[in-house]
Amino acid sequence: MAAPVCCRGLRPLVLSWSRELPCVWRALHTSAVCAKNRAARVRVGKGDKPVTYEQAHAPHHIAHRKGWLSLHTGNLAGEDHAAERTVEDVFFRKFMLGTFPGCLADQLVLKRRANQVEICALVLRQLPAHKFYFLVGYSETLLSHFYKCPVHLHLQTVPSKVVYKYI
Amino acid sequence: MAAARLHACLVLQPRARTLRAFSTSVSPATRSPRPSPSTTERTSRYERPLRRKALPPRTEKMAVDQDWPSVYPVAAPFKPSAVPLPVRMGYPVKRGVPMAKEGNLELLKIPNFLHLTPVAIKKHCEALKDFCTEWPAALDSDEKCRKHFPIEIDTAAYVSAGPSIRNPKARVVTLRVKLSSLNLDDHAKKKLIKLVGDRYCKSTDVLTIKTDRCPLKRQNYDYAMYLLTVLYHESWKTEEWEKKKTEADMEEYVWKDSSSEKNILETLLQIKAAEKNLELSKEELLGTKEVEEYRKSVVSLKNEGDNENTLSQYKESVKRLLNLT
Repeated sequence: MAAPVCCRGLRPLVLSWSRELPCVWRALHTSAVCAKNRAARVRVGKGDKPVTYEQAHAPHHIAHRKGWLSLHTGNLAGEDHAAERTVEDVFFRKFMLGTFPGCLADQLVLKRRANQVEICALVLRQLPAHKFYFLVGYSETLLSHFYKCPVHLHLQTVPSKVVYKYI
Repeated sequence: MAAARLHACLVLQPRARTLRAFSTSVSPATRSPRPSPSTTERTSRYERPLRRKALPPRTEKMAVDQDWPSVYPVAAPFKPSAVPLPVRMGYPVKRGVPMAKEGNLELLKIPNFLHLTPVAIKKHCEALKDFCTEWPAALDSDEKCRKHFPIEIDTAAYVSAGPSIRNPKARVVTLRVKLSSLNLDDHAKKKLIKLVGDRYCKSTDVLTIKTDRCPLKRQNYDYAMYLLTVLYHESWKTEEWEKKKTEADMEEYVWKDSSSEKNILETLLQIKAAEKNLELSKEELLGTKEVEEYRKSVVSLKNEGDNENTLSQYKESVKRLLNLT
């Protein structure tokens, strides 16, 4: 974007100049743009792009046509530790994305029940079964040790990504 | 660019599997008929035999009268291959139907209660019966419970999702007791009510003490019991300065030695003096029925406030006193 680049380029020049001449120096503070109207929305294509139900619905459809991907009591009124749960969720999603490369058919569903975490994942049948079992055991053990709470992984295999519509 | 990457993935995978074919002698992945490891053809055609065919879902083998609690013994996510119901969920596309249960993320997101069918709950109750004791037969009414257990303690425990069981809201303890069940005489009751202030509810005669200043529930409970003990003992004591209680400190209107008594006696004496009837003295005047009625109506007016009943009572008593009827 033109404006921030201009400012960043001009600033050292203006600084050196202002030290010699007494003048008031005003600068524009900029930050990265957060385009909330483009968040979590798949851009419309020619009609050949397959999207899942999750991708097809924008965030304003949550609680109307979509549910929540992560359920815990931290987001209820008067409850604490919502931020800690969110950070844990982010780590779980990144971990699973890396542990099952190319196998995840859709977003993870994270459910918390008292102490334990249940990760429900839709996986494609890319790997043979024994490899899946190993990865399940590996993830469960590692994540339980990381977070000091029981972590259960429930996989559901689908032959291919479930397409909701083509956009 | 994406297509080239995908092709690279496909190329890599068979090579990885062929390497492992040398190291492991028998493995289910390599048992299926495949061309020899040294083949250089790496097209997606050879992917098919490597992927095992998915077995038919368990729902096809389920009997109609099966034991459902053994399929879902505990809370578990929705498994479309284990739930023999043709459930659909999702907002349909135009001229379409909601999505089927296979691969449906919405069905996974929502909490399900498939493990809590009435049959399962009955089984739970049967198992829990061994650990239950009967309610004591002697406590069969609320009054008896209140008579034997006058103090009621309210505490709350909080369960939340997360690794920590601690919740700072759980330390609050509320103690409720009816003052009628405490052994208090008139002075002690008035003093106790003055000491506790807002914590006493006049209409229900309940004293509520809510403590949360200690970090633990146990400590707050001990503090509440200590407060009740101290209040009880202090209200029975009479201090030196209590003798200086003035009319403004009184909780209810007392007619004796009040200005109303003085006024009415003066008025009556004046009336009697005007009529030249000097036989009656103050004590005799106080003893007459009209003055007694007047006293009752003034006390009820001051204590209960203005309502039709008390005002009409006052009117009647004044008329009778001044012989105006």
